[in-house]
Amino acid sequence: MDIIVCVKRVPDTSEADVVITGKDIKKDDLPFEINEWDNYAVEEAVQLKEKFGGTITVISVGDEDANEVIRRGLAMGADEGVRIYDPAIEGSDGVTIAKILAAAIKNMKYDLILTGAQAGDLGEGIVPVALAEMLGIPHATLVTGLEIQDGKAKVKRELEGGLMEVLEIDLPAVIGIQTGINEPRYVSIMGIRKASKKEIKLLGLDDIGLTPEDVGEAGSLTVLEELSIPPVTKVAEIIEGDPAEAASKLAEILKEQGVL
Amino acid sequence: MEIGGETFAQKFDLFTCMQCGKCTGGCTVSLKSPLNVRRMMREALIRESSDVVLTMKELWDCTTCGTCTSRCPRGLDPAEVIIAMRGILIEEGRGVPKTIMEALESTVKNGNPWGRSRMKRTEWLQDFDQEVKDLTDGKSAELLAFIGCTPSYDPRVQEVARAFVRVFNAAGVDYGILGTEESCCGSEMHAMGEEGLFEMLVEENLELFNEFEITKMVTISPHCYNAFSNKYSEYGDVNFEVKHYTQFLVDLIDEDRLKLTKELGKVVTYHDPCYLGKHNSIFDEPRKVLEAIPGITFVEMDRSRERSLCCEGGGGMMWNEGAEGERTAVVRVRDAAEQGAEIIAVACPFCMLTLEDAVKTAGYEGQIEVKDILELLSESL
Amino acid sequence: MSEIFVLAEHRNGELRDVTFEMLSGARNLADKMGATVTAVLLGSGVNEMAEKLKSYANKVLVVDDPKLENFNAEIYQKVLSKLIKDHKPVVTLIGHTAFGMDLAPALAVELGLPLATDCIDLDAVDGRLVVTRQIYSGKVNAKVALKGDQFIATVRSGAFSIEEGALNGEIVTESVTIEDVPYRRFLGYEEAEVGEVDITQADYIVSVGRAIKDQENIPLVQELADVLGGVLACSRPVVDKNWLPKDRQVGSSGKIVKPKLYLAIGISGAFQHVAGMKDSGLIVAINKDPKAPIFNVADYGIVDDLFKVVPVLKEKIKEIKG
Repeated sequence: MDIIVCVKRVPDTSEADVVITGKDIKKDDLPFEINEWDNYAVEEAVQLKEKFGGTITVISVGDEDANEVIRRGLAMGADEGVRIYDPAIEGSDGVTIAKILAAAIKNMKYDLILTGAQAGDLGEGIVPVALAEMLGIPHATLVTGLEIQDGKAKVKRELEGGLMEVLEIDLPAVIGIQTGINEPRYVSIMGIRKASKKEIKLLGLDDIGLTPEDVGEAGSLTVLEELSIPPVTKVAEIIEGDPAEAASKLAEILKEQGVL
Repeated sequence: MEIGGETFAQKFDLFTCMQCGKCTGGCTVSLKSPLNVRRMMREALIRESSDVVLTMKELWDCTTCGTCTSRCPRGLDPAEVIIAMRGILIEEGRGVPKTIMEALESTVKNGNPWGRSRMKRTEWLQDFDQEVKDLTDGKSAELLAFIGCTPSYDPRVQEVARAFVRVFNAAGVDYGILGTEESCCGSEMHAMGEEGLFEMLVEENLELFNEFEITKMVTISPHCYNAFSNKYSEYGDVNFEVKHYTQFLVDLIDEDRLKLTKELGKVVTYHDPCYLGKHNSIFDEPRKVLEAIPGITFVEMDRSRERSLCCEGGGGMMWNEGAEGERTAVVRVRDAAEQGAEIIAVACPFCMLTLEDAVKTAGYEGQIEVKDILELLSESL
Repeated sequence: MSEIFVLAEHRNGELRDVTFEMLSGARNLADKMGATVTAVLLGSGVNEMAEKLKSYANKVLVVDDPKLENFNAEIYQKVLSKLIKDHKPVVTLIGHTAFGMDLAPALAVELGLPLATDCIDLDAVDGRLVVTRQIYSGKVNAKVALKGDQFIATVRSGAFSIEEGALNGEIVTESVTIEDVPYRRFLGYEEAEVGEVDITQADYIVSVGRAIKDQENIPLVQELADVLGGVLACSRPVVDKNWLPKDRQVGSSGKIVKPKLYLAIGISGAFQHVAGMKDSGLIVAINKDPKAPIFNVADYGIVDDLFKVVPVLKEKIKEIKG
């Protein structure tokens, strides 16, 4: 079974003080990593390969730094790595990224395409479903359970309230993977170093039949105008003191408020 | 069974093992964990395929205290055999406890295993009344004080880092730190079997130390000391002299540069950390330093020096649940109570954390305190 | 006059809140754009639901067909696509929900229309749709403009409040020939593991996040929950790591809770979690990070290490309860 996994390199802003510079944030001090959802997608692909055999191609749209996450995919068990980049791609919106991936993927052989349901940085959740539409194949996103049998995928989609939607879709298809679908394996540094020996194929716009006008801000139907820090609407009353003091005060407050 | 192109037998000289069992006999966790060191030595020798390792979850119970290695009559290194078997699990990516995976991934990402941002590594200096030179700020100093990840990030151990500063400043020592450019020494990464990550940290750190032309270093943690002293040379050129702070302090005391005036008036015992004691035979220096503190009645525990009972803090145990059963740290607190100790003096961040926890679990809160030697010195300044 | 389409989301015969939220938000947008609001209801046997939508929209456009009984992204896409081509609404709003995410991007690509997702605000500037959405885990707001003259946007649940409608929308039924979609078959709904605890019924909830660090630390917070006579819940990462079962998850992809007291311990307060608990009576947060977004939702907060605070808090509450 041949699987393509689309991955993205994203900054980890969880502990950071975000600083806006122009139409982006300052990223020099931020640690980068593979998009968490995509990591689950790669693990899912590797588990399917272990079960059914076949090949896995990891593909990413991004500059040289994106090689890091492609290499990690290779170290996890993927066979080929592909990177698509041209400076004109900067400023592309979600649909345009899907367009770029579709342009590359339509020339590849595949039974299944996996990608994270959304990315931790921009959180749009557009790529998997847009990609499927562009390739003219079925899709399902927010998938937390995936079983392949006889050329079909039985998927469980995560709905709100702890409910799941169960579907069967024909392959080839695009599946948007939700976190928690599996337990990603550990990727060792030695594993990544070995994977670094493998060549990552670099594709430019010419290779995939697109022009600079097809991508970037020019090729996108949505444009980022401005970034701002969300206004703080409510601020909790912070209880001061060392842990023991603060805990005591809190208990008193709960009593006073009639909550206990 | 192979490792890095040779068999375990070749790399660790396993045919020399006579299966006497002294290793298991001294193992810290042998009473509660299925971990059987003697058996591991045998499995590593006779197995062709490393698949069997995938079934050995008990490999993660080892604290790498090195008691087994120090007891082996044939001079073999069972602790390293266990670490190498962990390495097989690491390379497989399976059978590695999730929390250990996270600690390792955090080290790659943030330069520390605690999941904290690199940019917050110097937060322990905030609201601190002492001056500390940051070498990355263009300042220079003769000596590098390698703070370490746990003193940098853990709230309790940050107090030890601050005590270090007070003591070294009071003694007029010229030193600097690497601030947010300091990364994990890698000692625990090696112990957890992630040798590739360890090698990467060695390369990066040696480059960093060369950049700042470091020739002398002092560490707070015995784990950092051990890594720099004994393990770094395997992967690069170590162009600096490194001491643990207890060794450095002995010199300061001999030169009369440390003025300790306040009497502490306490009964103090000392818990030998495995990475200073068993691994590096540093037993006397910490005791000399404690002796220099006025008003201390020093008592020795029965299991001391080479026989010190490991606190179960090393070998990845800070990020791993370990075997069910009584924590050795709790046993240790009782050892101290038996001697009438009011304070257990430690010289290692992991011992600090495990023993403090154990004081509460064992029910000695209010009776026994755990303090780093640096904290005792600081109180006596 | 142009229309703003709002796709009504329903499940098992019930209209979901996001529908009314979007309709409320659409009214303001409609005023700015000189448009009317049309609720688009696709389903089977939906008369009752159509009636409920009347007061919120100028028109309720219904397509009633057995094939539309259960949400199926491909089928809904075909019907919605035809309606949009015929009626040319200036804006189409879809909930940014599990249904919406499976549908909107494909719809936008098919029609060649711009799409902005997970919007928390909608505005019109010179006849064009300009949205606000959040990025970097809610730390940054982004203003995004859409090009062209017809727009599609998915709207975050809870971004708009439900305002009682005073309209009297006409119910208009259209019939659309619906092709079969043999390559995507809906098989049914399944409940995620049902445990013995229903957190939505609890008065006191102690909720724990990633900062609990290890499954072995769970008893610490369980004890606090016990002392309060409440239940233990959690944020998503705790479930992803299998430290607690899925039925304990509070958030937009878990359960919505409204207890008397919600104690968020070691939870950063990402929007998806907050959406699940923001209507709680009293919200208290314990978190080491003073900048954690949870402090913007909580009534009281302690900025400290949960491992230091929780044990003492447990003892103090025990004392008070006697």
